[in-house]
Amino acid sequence: MISRAFLFAVVMIYTAFAAGPFLWVATMSLRTTTEISRDHYAWPEKLHWEKFPDAWFNSNYSVYFENSLLVVISAVIVLTVVGAMAAHCFARYRFRLNRLAYFIIFSAIIFPPQITIIALFQILVDYGLYNSLIGLTLVYIAVQLPLTVYILESFFARIPADLFDAARMDGYPEWHIFWKVSLPIALPAIATTVILNTILLWNEFLYAVVLITDEAKRTLPLGIQRFMGDQLEDVGMIATGLMIAIIPVVIIYIFFSEKLIQGMTAGAIK
Amino acid sequence: MATVSLKDLTKRYPNTDSLAVDAVNLNVEHGEFMVLLGPSGCGKSTTLRMIAGLESISSGHLSIDGKRVNDVPAKDRDIAMVFQSYALYPHMSVFDNLAFGLRRRNVPKSEIDKRVSNVAATLGMSELLMRKPHALSGGQRQRVALGRAIVRDPKVFLFDEPLSNLDAALRVGMRGELIKLHHHLGATMIYVTHDQVEAMTMGDRICIMNGGKVVQIGAPLDVYRDPADTFVASFLGSPPTNLLPAVFNGAGLTVGEAKLPVTKRGTADEVVLGIRPEDIRIDGAAPHVQGEVLAVEPLGAETIVRFRIAGVSNDVLVRGPRTVTARVGERAPITFDLASAHLFDPITTRRIE
Repeated sequence: MISRAFLFAVVMIYTAFAAGPFLWVATMSLRTTTEISRDHYAWPEKLHWEKFPDAWFNSNYSVYFENSLLVVISAVIVLTVVGAMAAHCFARYRFRLNRLAYFIIFSAIIFPPQITIIALFQILVDYGLYNSLIGLTLVYIAVQLPLTVYILESFFARIPADLFDAARMDGYPEWHIFWKVSLPIALPAIATTVILNTILLWNEFLYAVVLITDEAKRTLPLGIQRFMGDQLEDVGMIATGLMIAIIPVVIIYIFFSEKLIQGMTAGAIK
Repeated sequence: MATVSLKDLTKRYPNTDSLAVDAVNLNVEHGEFMVLLGPSGCGKSTTLRMIAGLESISSGHLSIDGKRVNDVPAKDRDIAMVFQSYALYPHMSVFDNLAFGLRRRNVPKSEIDKRVSNVAATLGMSELLMRKPHALSGGQRQRVALGRAIVRDPKVFLFDEPLSNLDAALRVGMRGELIKLHHHLGATMIYVTHDQVEAMTMGDRICIMNGGKVVQIGAPLDVYRDPADTFVASFLGSPPTNLLPAVFNGAGLTVGEAKLPVTKRGTADEVVLGIRPEDIRIDGAAPHVQGEVLAVEPLGAETIVRFRIAGVSNDVLVRGPRTVTARVGERAPITFDLASAHLFDPITTRRIE
């Protein structure tokens, strides 16, 4: 009984800790900057819903949203397909340097982005991809690929080898086996990587701020930066922009959280 | 139907010295049920997987219907295989599991429907077609795995210990069904098992393997009666053949205290006498020797008695009738049925003719 109460208390404190800032930003998104600077923590006296269409239409948020959608969706599609193929090969085929190649890809996870970003910047400039959405998409794919391969490889490796042999006996070439056997069975793990990648890339700021300068090519996290000036910050509009940016992620999470947990804990395939 | 022929088939895994499969020669006839039998690690599964095309062949020839298929990929060999783990596709219904191979071969949809429902009816699982594998019992999964092979109507069926994941009662039932199925289809089947009862009851012929090599090939009873060496003698039969060290001297064969009227064969004086437990009797009329009873195991239909004969290092097992009255600690008369006994060379382990 006491241990349950303790657990409950811990969960409550954690929830307050995690949800508090979110609620705070949510209240600020409905208040004007003047109201906020008068009292940072007050409830909205009047709900300024008009700030949302204002951000969307007058502050270019529709464009940012579109850019984010384009970059994230294409990056996630490529990540999933290429990552799954690589993971399938690492888990399924014996070839020279298999483990070494896997280790090198995996070790890329440990480098913080700050280490590579200057080199990346230079490379993109050289290839004429700087300040383009294609360039940003390619960088996102490169950055997230190691983790994707890592998660999927461990799942593919647990699929019994007999299934692949059975498909071979049924007359299927390797390429079809990947699409018709590996991929559908690994769906929980694939859902996990799709959600993780979507959330991470949707919120990504560092690469975007370094690699994108054009107003028309900004993604959502950069759009928020627009309201930060040298002299003054439009805190109210930043909060509104944040809410617009967060909503899709929250929706995805609500719909797929069960799948996400399933994929993370998915064990034996019977 | 097809013939399968293995000539000096060899498998060497990289970075190992020993051969997993060592120059195996085997001819499987049209419609034959051939059993590959041996202890685990004897190379029987590797041999099967080479026939299937799932393992590469290091050297030797493999031909199906007289055509060399060493380098033909598994998918083009027209062979079906039933796996020990069943290997059902977990994301597909039973129907799709059965139809998967046919779809690849561009069989028209109406034909697929017909064949799948025929096979399902044959195996008594017509009501299960829409279920997923995880909603099936072990026996039902086994049937689906079997059906997946049958529905393709392949040249050759391969079985890799298909019954070893089933419980004992179900295994006996499925054994009978497989025999029936073989008669019904008349197809060439190659069946790998370590279970001698399966081998004896199902095989037209048995190919016994040990250490990557073929030891003996023959009809089950022939192999049982005339084992080629001590390995086969001790591997087949439960309890196994008694292998007793023996010496020829003037009068005949001496096994510890026992003097047996056996005429000398071969050149060596020291031999191994192999005699099956059912070829030894416990009775008083002119016994060969007296033995001390170490244990009595009444099994209902029969009684297994363990004897010690003075001067013999191994115990002697006797399969007696259920009426055996011997008690532990007593001495009892033992008679060998020498017509059914074999002599083996202790060094080469081969049978002495």
